[in-house]
Amino acid sequence: MYEELKTLLVDDLRLDENALRPEAGREEAGLDSLAVVELSMLLSDRYQVQISDEDLLEAATVADIARLLEQQMKRQPN
Amino acid sequence: MAAVICGAGSWLPPRVVTNAELCGRLDTSDEWIFSRTGISARRVAGAGLLTSDLAVEAAARALKSAGGGEVQALVLATTTPDRPCPATAPTVAARLGLTGIAAFDVSAVCSGFLYGLGAGAGFIAAGLAERVLVVAAETFTALLDPDDRTTVPVFGDGAGAVVLRRGSAAEPGAVGRVLLGSDGGGSELITVEPGGSRQQTGYFRMRGREVFRHAVERMTAAARAAAAEAGWDLADVDRVVAHQANARITAAAARSLGIPLDRWAQNIGDVGNTAGASVPVLLAQAAESGFLAAGHRVLLTAFGGGLTWGAATVVWPELEPENGT
Repeated sequence: MYEELKTLLVDDLRLDENALRPEAGREEAGLDSLAVVELSMLLSDRYQVQISDEDLLEAATVADIARLLEQQMKRQPN
Repeated sequence: MAAVICGAGSWLPPRVVTNAELCGRLDTSDEWIFSRTGISARRVAGAGLLTSDLAVEAAARALKSAGGGEVQALVLATTTPDRPCPATAPTVAARLGLTGIAAFDVSAVCSGFLYGLGAGAGFIAAGLAERVLVVAAETFTALLDPDDRTTVPVFGDGAGAVVLRRGSAAEPGAVGRVLLGSDGGGSELITVEPGGSRQQTGYFRMRGREVFRHAVERMTAAARAAAAEAGWDLADVDRVVAHQANARITAAAARSLGIPLDRWAQNIGDVGNTAGASVPVLLAQAAESGFLAAGHRVLLTAFGGGLTWGAATVVWPELEPENGT
């Protein structure tokens, strides 16, 4: 899931690939407060997964966001 | 029968304020501003220029672009009128030598031009006017808290205008049905604080993250509806002229609609967010640069405080816009 998230962040949100590591902090990875909204909308459009801005903002690292995404996708019926 | 765009113009105040200048007085940086907004510079009217001054300049250029002639109504979209009362439109009309015509303000914040366009097209449809001047002019920088680094870098001042005439729905320039909407449940997201005994003038405030989401969702929904109304597939849209709120909002809207970003007119980097004026300023500038050309299927969409939103379609006509500064 981390690799899938990374592809999304680099290809769609144009984040710097070199700054993206699983243990990178959210801001360190380039996910500022607006990018969090962009990611939340993208996940909803692309995967029909609803993760709020607030939940994403509480994630400390990129790996935490990947875990959040994995949990939500498991809850989806499909 | 339809309202047909037959002239376009814009005017920006001459004073340019760069990110570097702002960094001298705000705790921010060029990189911070540009990465979050896509803005490098904006125009600021300053104390010597009022909204009516900007409106007169833009409207005169739109009239010239239309080849002169009479208009029977002037609609001014603005959230920054010269005074709370009376409306600014009659002053603008009088200064253009149009004393006697119908003239009124429309207040819909950043959706102002689309609301003005709807009102102008409505005047024509109702037989109240043969030709209408639709102006949008803003001096938003006067509303900003000078110490607020989240709003000062974003907004700029400017004015744009179009002339509408009665024509046929089949001809280039005919404006499709203007779709407008609002949601007062979100009125607190974009506000000017009321003045009070301890505060002579209220400042503009915006809840950034929530506004970002609403802007993308509302502008894309309105754009889809307007395209469907015109019988267009989104893939057939040649150009999108969207409210210039933030370059990242534009990019997110482009992703959501699946319309490549290179079809979106953009000028936010040089002029910032000029609120209700952004759509007609961009129309006139993009037409001058050739980015908008005769025959292009153009989608207009905007979102603003209120909350308000609007969208419309137009097949771009042959015209020569007049821009100035």
